[in-house]
Amino acid sequence: MQKPPVLTVVLGVFAALLAIVPLGYLVLRLAEGIEAASAELARPRTFELLSNTVLLVVSVSLTALVVGVIQAWFVVRTNLSYPGFYAVVATVPLAIPSYVLALGYVSIFPWFSGFWASWLVLTMATAPYVFLAVSAALLRVDIAAEEVGRSLGLSRLQVFLKITWPQVRTSATAAVLLVSLYVLSEFGAIALLRFDTFTRAIYNAYRSSFDRTAAASLALVLVALTLVIVLLERRYRGDYLMQRPANPRRLKQDLGKLQTPVTLLLALFGLLGAGLPMAALLNWTMIGSSATDLGKLFAATLSSAGIALLAAIVVSIFALAVSIWVVLHKNKLGSFIEGLLWSNHALPAIVVGLALVFFGANVTPWIYQSIWLLMIAYLILFLPNGLAAMSTPLAQVPKGLTEVSQSLGQSYRKSLTKVILPIASPGLIAAAALVMLTVLKELPATLLLRPTGVETLATRLWSATEELAYAQAAPFALVLVIIAGLPALALNASVRKTYAEVNEE
Amino acid sequence: MKKIFAAALAAVSVVGLAGCAPADSDGDFVVYVGRSETLIQPLIDQYVAESGIEVQVRYAGSAELAAQILEEGDNSPADVFFAQDAGALGAVSKAGFLRELDAELLNLIAPEYRAADGTWMGASGRVRVFNYNTDQVSEAELPSSVLDLAGPEWRGRIGIAPTNSSFQAFVTALAKVEGEDVAAEWLSAMKENGVIYEKNSAILEAVESGQVDAGLINHYYWYAKGNEVGFENLNSEIAAFESQDVGNLRNVAGVGIVSEDPRAKDFVEFLLSETAQQYFVNETSEYPLIDGVEPMAGLTPLDQIPAPEFDLNDLEALEETLQLIRAAGLI
Repeated sequence: MQKPPVLTVVLGVFAALLAIVPLGYLVLRLAEGIEAASAELARPRTFELLSNTVLLVVSVSLTALVVGVIQAWFVVRTNLSYPGFYAVVATVPLAIPSYVLALGYVSIFPWFSGFWASWLVLTMATAPYVFLAVSAALLRVDIAAEEVGRSLGLSRLQVFLKITWPQVRTSATAAVLLVSLYVLSEFGAIALLRFDTFTRAIYNAYRSSFDRTAAASLALVLVALTLVIVLLERRYRGDYLMQRPANPRRLKQDLGKLQTPVTLLLALFGLLGAGLPMAALLNWTMIGSSATDLGKLFAATLSSAGIALLAAIVVSIFALAVSIWVVLHKNKLGSFIEGLLWSNHALPAIVVGLALVFFGANVTPWIYQSIWLLMIAYLILFLPNGLAAMSTPLAQVPKGLTEVSQSLGQSYRKSLTKVILPIASPGLIAAAALVMLTVLKELPATLLLRPTGVETLATRLWSATEELAYAQAAPFALVLVIIAGLPALALNASVRKTYAEVNEE
Repeated sequence: MKKIFAAALAAVSVVGLAGCAPADSDGDFVVYVGRSETLIQPLIDQYVAESGIEVQVRYAGSAELAAQILEEGDNSPADVFFAQDAGALGAVSKAGFLRELDAELLNLIAPEYRAADGTWMGASGRVRVFNYNTDQVSEAELPSSVLDLAGPEWRGRIGIAPTNSSFQAFVTALAKVEGEDVAAEWLSAMKENGVIYEKNSAILEAVESGQVDAGLINHYYWYAKGNEVGFENLNSEIAAFESQDVGNLRNVAGVGIVSEDPRAKDFVEFLLSETAQQYFVNETSEYPLIDGVEPMAGLTPLDQIPAPEFDLNDLEALEETLQLIRAAGLI
């Protein structure tokens, strides 16, 4: 196999260095202040945070599992009326950043805060991940085995538990672990709902202690927790590529009298996960429309879009380079770099932000508080997303085409730029767009690293909520959902696949 | 590839247009503002219009900005630090990052509202008050001392903002006046009795909506709200504690110069000008600190507030206060 182009190797190694240096610096800094750090960790408060965090992660994971499985089962395996509609209802919370969801709720119920509030909001925000994974698995379940089970006298519930569930379990577990990672790194919603987990405590420690070792040591505990889940996730991943059976048949159970109650239940989930909070924000936007500062809204939209576009380009350049390297010229160093970059996919944004503030202020003052430090944060956070999205279209380009092109006398570089990249480009552009939409919604790292004077939609929303000014915050939230959330939902490949498959018959 | 780089260039220029080009650390005039953007940005806009000087403003909590200046050290992009309270300024000054101000500037205001070493000075005055929802707290129930709020009858009823520097300054004063043990005990009672918000304005909103019965805030948030919606429409009142109670702390929002940039002095002069002082009176209901500008009608004059005699220079013990608040588990 040909050696990878030098440029891809340079970019790949550079990205890997960027990804590890700030965190390395955080650890170094902690080692210097080891006494203060251990004092911080020994506080009773740390245990309170630990138990809050674990409690929230476990409870949200369980309820998201239940909600997602219920939605998937009824949509895929019963004669529910309008299953396509309910598939949309189940996935639509993906279009709403969780802090927007939280904002929607607190703006209706000012007392909405603490554990139960966070639990509800995060359950609704993460259930779609379970729904997508489980409905995909349910669509591939071997119906024949179920029929045999029924004919041998098992009840419907027994069939589900003994025959169906084991075939779905791997996907469900993977989705639940994804949910746990989401909850662990969640910052905005939890801070808005005033429940103290590690992310909020890190931000507060950073803001209100002169010795920032405190924030750093909490950050490392969070990273350790994350690692535990990532390792678990590794063990359970790998079932995503299950093929559909050759003759896809679906055994649809007749809901009978349950049609109405089930419809109501699914509608209730939709109401809790999107309808109610979005209606509240719409209402606030209209109430406050006369006082809305359109100039501010426009400026924030513009700088959000500009920053996200730049980030998408930066991330895409690196993601493309690394993808070319590992997909077309797989070698040991490439795989190592890819693994390294991937390991960041679960890193909480607040930790990356914190590490870069320290690093920027002390080591690289020339990019401190500039857009470039923020770009490095986005690169660390979203390169894994870019890699995942870009390697697929590259891998799908038929290998023979390169050979044909080279046999016709084109140089390798020409074949790459004239043949491979153009063929893969629709997929690559979609990948870049997804990165851009993800960046638009990012809050914690943006909050810590944005250049002086720059306000994005997310940071504007944040500062308005700090003053409980809901009418002020609502339009920013709506614009975010419209320009980032809905397009991201429309571009999401597994969402589209699920819609298509549910509507097939 | 060419296309991608062309797109990259285009994006960079878009971002540049949106005003987020990398800050030139020498060229830009940067002010770190520890006060609410809603209150301060109109004043900054006025300054920009009058002076023609472009100002880059970084808004955050005063304690956060103080810690940030210490972290940044000599690399700090800040030229001026405009803080919500004297404590944050004192802490930065103690670490040696503030320059001495000119005597002519310092002498514009009374000595009790500026640093003993001349490194910072007040720009506007404010007073801590007890804000309560009139449906949920009767006048008979009003506490005579802020220490009374530690009692079990206030469980879950008091809005506080432990990350806010005005609250932190009050805690510093409490520790200085009543002793650190009393302050620590009071704070741990607040773990039960307090409901935590980010800002004074959020506490006021919560008290107004009845989400919490009462709160500890700076006086002018209540006046600003009253001016906005009409005082007769407010659901809450403000009250002072008994005379000499630390709960009535008098404090200043103030300013200090971090860099050698000549524009810094000009900006500070502006904050002490009649225009700016009148802005504080009219727009934020704060106390002006220079002679010749009168506080809003109906406001108890600053020197008649029943506050304890307290040297604002002592508020510099912000670091110890933050440790106290963190030890109580409020942050």
